[in-house]
Amino acid sequence: MARLRDLNSLKIIGTISTFFVLICVLLSISSYARAADEDNCLMCHKYRFLGRIDENGNRINYNVDPRIFNDTVHRTIACRECHNYIKKIPHDPVTEQVNCGTLCHVITPFSKERFSHQHIIEIYNSSVHAPKPDDSPKQKEAKPGCKFCHLNPIYSLPKHNIPYDVSLRRCLNCHQQKGVTQAYKHITHRIRRKTSRSSQEIVALCAKCHADKELMERFKVSQEALTAVETYKRSIHGESVTLGSQETADCISCHASNKLHDIYKKDDRRATIFSKNINKTCQQCHEQTNRWFVEIAVHPRSEGAGNPIVYFISISLRFALYGTVFGLVGLMLLETYGRKRKGIKFLLRHGTSWRGKATPEKSKQKIQKNNN
Amino acid sequence: MVAPPDIATAAVEEAAAREDYFTYIEGVGHIPRDIYKHVKSDPAGDLPRYSTHIVIQHILVSTTFLVLAATGLSLFFADVFWAPYVIKLFGGADTARYVHRVAAAIMIFAAVYHILTLVAGTTKKVMNNEFDYRRTQIPRLKDLHDLIHDIKYFLGLEPFRPKMEKFCYKQKLHYLAIIWGTIVLVSAGLALLYPDVVSKTIPEAIFKISPGAATGGAFPTFFQDLARLMHADEAVMALIVIALWHLANVHIVPGRFPFQWTFLTGRITREHQIEEHFWEYIRNLEEIPEEKEYMRNLLREKGFEVSEPMDTTLSRQTPEPGSAEESTPEKEEN
Ligand code: HEC
Ligand code: HEC
Ligand code: HEC
Ligand code: HEC
Ligand code: HEC
Ligand code: HEC
Ligand code: HEC
Repeated sequence: MARLRDLNSLKIIGTISTFFVLICVLLSISSYARAADEDNCLMCHKYRFLGRIDENGNRINYNVDPRIFNDTVHRTIACRECHNYIKKIPHDPVTEQVNCGTLCHVITPFSKERFSHQHIIEIYNSSVHAPKPDDSPKQKEAKPGCKFCHLNPIYSLPKHNIPYDVSLRRCLNCHQQKGVTQAYKHITHRIRRKTSRSSQEIVALCAKCHADKELMERFKVSQEALTAVETYKRSIHGESVTLGSQETADCISCHASNKLHDIYKKDDRRATIFSKNINKTCQQCHEQTNRWFVEIAVHPRSEGAGNPIVYFISISLRFALYGTVFGLVGLMLLETYGRKRKGIKFLLRHGTSWRGKATPEKSKQKIQKNNN
Repeated sequence: MVAPPDIATAAVEEAAAREDYFTYIEGVGHIPRDIYKHVKSDPAGDLPRYSTHIVIQHILVSTTFLVLAATGLSLFFADVFWAPYVIKLFGGADTARYVHRVAAAIMIFAAVYHILTLVAGTTKKVMNNEFDYRRTQIPRLKDLHDLIHDIKYFLGLEPFRPKMEKFCYKQKLHYLAIIWGTIVLVSAGLALLYPDVVSKTIPEAIFKISPGAATGGAFPTFFQDLARLMHADEAVMALIVIALWHLANVHIVPGRFPFQWTFLTGRITREHQIEEHFWEYIRNLEEIPEEKEYMRNLLREKGFEVSEPMDTTLSRQTPEPGSAEESTPEKEEN
């Protein structure tokens, strides 16, 4: 393969990484849970069968599963901050509903105000969904309130990447511009990718030393280690990364875990490429790894080295290539020469490519003679 | 103007002496081997060659081939200066990888479609008792014979090209190469796309056949190395053959220049058919009454002998004598 590549001697100068912009996205605040149950509401509400059957015969469940609650966006809010109509315990039968515009104890870090959804409520109130004074009760019923749409935790990871400016705008739903951009950048790129640098930057970084044979020869490293960058760049992982792929493996994908700095020699038990761990390493991207798969050389050896059959096939293919090309093209040139000699012209003009037409006129008589 | 006339006549004389200069066709006459120098040809094609199915398959295969070559080779030559530009055209490395797969899937579809066409078409012909292996891509000893004589002709050692069938030696060679290339590229491509699955399947299959053989760890690496090599080398070879030979051979050589429309119209020019596919032309004559009439008129115009029974009338209704159908094209007049 290497030799074929040499057919084309012009190589890229400079880097191509500028083609690619790292698109950071993602809204997720890491899960930290804080008990919200200051008022001990769960003392009763943790019971799974706490509930009743209402006048219409519907079963109503008043159970609040703490495990589920602690995974919701509102996990840090105390029950009574929302259910603020409850003043004493045991409480009276509830007649009110929670108002999403209630101010809660949470102080937003940037504007230092008590937090509420008031801002969104204002927008909502001007939207088509807000009930209008002249709406009939039926119409009011048909419009979604906050609670209709927000039954699910909204801070789940989106499946598709959302561009930076779009997702940042969402932070502004609750935060002021000041400070939040900074916070956004700080958080999101960590959530999205194993490394904040692009794969190209990672390879360039590692290559700074690992492609420098002189430097590496100062250490007692194996032949594979000496040629690691070179061989990586010849693999499909490396070729895709060279062209700007963000999905294929760079050095860090395989040589470090999320701790990023745990790079070891391959016979170290802690190494991601240690025989016992490599399955897990490849599994980040290749779902169906198996004991054969992980043995595939991802730093492909140079041709010939350790694989004489492949080397032999490669040589034969090269012969086949030159043989076919020269054979076919040679035959074509010979054919063209021979046919041109017999009077064919390149262009089909007046319905024929043959000019001259000497043969039949003259030969006709001869042939007729022959036949007689 | 090219060959001195006396040599030409001598050659023709010699050919006539060998009794293969004329081919006698009942209802037409004695067709000289070099009549193609006198026929009228429509650049869009006069005689049927490919069915619509084949034309569609060719369009599918040729477009996907270009897409596959562009995306695949720029991935393979990732460090060469043009590769990033080509990849950018296809929307970046990650998109290009998917484009490559979609194109591959369409090409595989075209291959399956081709096989279905072949099977269905052949079955129909066998049922109607029309199947003739000489009109197919099946290689024969005659092809080798044709190649040798064609070279002799090109060198000026023989007066005429051999009488060839619908597919001549170089086309059969190319067709075989395509079958081989498709098998190699598809199987190696699958190994690159699903390395995890393929690396498991092959050793397990070998293990089933002969337990103990696949216990060594070298197998998966060996097959993957082979797949990497074959996929790239076969693709480069295909591209070079298509770019340097196929395109030139069908569009640039004399008589085909500047463009041969057969791949779109499915029709071949009369001149080309007679020159390179003589026996196929003879079959065309038997199958197409208009062509018969055209050839008869041409022969008469040029002063060759025409067939007796139809000498005076041009009516197409004249039924063919039953016995004439049986006569082989090789039947010579003497
Ligand atoms: C002593 C046990 C107990 C404690 C402590 C308790 N609850 Fe209740 N809660 C109940 C019972 C029983 C019901 C069902 C009442 C009914 O249907 O009339 C209920 C019903 C409710 C309802 C549903 C009302 C409705 O009809 O929709 C809400 C909301 C509620 N509780 C909130 C709270 C909150 C918030 C706290 C903590 C501040 C709390 N509860 C603490 C026993 C308790
Ligand atoms: C972010 C505000 C918020 C917090 C915090 C909150 N709730 Fe609620 N809760 C609601 C809303 C909204 C409803 C829907 C009924 C309503 O509109 O009043 C509700 C309903 C309930 C119901 C009645 C369920 C039903 O089906 O009608 C119970 C019981 C309840 N909450 C208990 C709790 C308990 C216990 C806690 C603390 C662990 C808690 N809630 C914390 C907003 C909150
Ligand atoms: C028509 C349905 C609907 C209604 C009604 C609605 N929302 Fe939303 N809201 C959404 C959707 C959809 C999102 C985006 C959620 C996501 O991306 O997961 C959202 C997001 C939010 C967010 C998070 C903002 C962000 O950028 O992350 C808040 C806070 C919010 N809504 C509050 C409210 C409040 C308060 C009300 C009542 C005034 C309300 N919503 C009414 C559909 C609704
Ligand atoms: C639904 C409204 C809402 C949205 C949307 C929102 N935040 Fe927040 N954010 C809050 C609230 C409320 C707090 C305070 C939470 C607490 O103290 O428990 C907070 C806290 C934070 C903090 C912690 C600051 C500190 O010093 O404690 C950061 C950082 C932050 N948000 C960043 C963001 C970013 C970045 C986005 C957009 C991706 C965003 N937030 C979107 C409501 C929101
Ligand atoms: C400053 C130069 C430098 C950089 C940058 C660098 N390395 Fe190294 N690396 C070394 C040296 C020197 C060794 C040899 C240490 C030894 O053998 O004692 C080494 C050893 C290694 C080894 C073990 C090789 C062996 O000898 O078996 C791996 C794996 C490795 N580095 C991966 C990486 C990766 C991945 C990156 C990029 C994130 C990287 N290195 C960046 C200098 C560097
Ligand atoms: C697809 C995963 C993968 C990627 C990407 C990758 N490597 Fe490796 N690397 C391995 C594996 C697996 C080995 C062990 C090879 C072996 O067993 O022969 C290895 C071996 C090495 C070694 C020799 C380690 C030793 O102990 O002998 C070095 C050095 C190295 N890689 C550096 C790099 C550098 C630098 C890059 C980026 C340019 C890189 N690798 C990219 C998987 C990867
Ligand atoms: C960060 C993700 C990632 C990791 C980690 C990764 N790969 Fe890959 N791998 C890819 C992608 C993406 C492709 C290209 C698939 C394609 O485009 O068809 C690929 C292709 C391959 C191929 C087929 C191409 C070829 O070079 O023959 C093999 C084999 C392979 N990987 C082996 C491995 C092994 C072994 C490991 C573990 C040491 C590994 N990969 C780790 C993403 C990864």
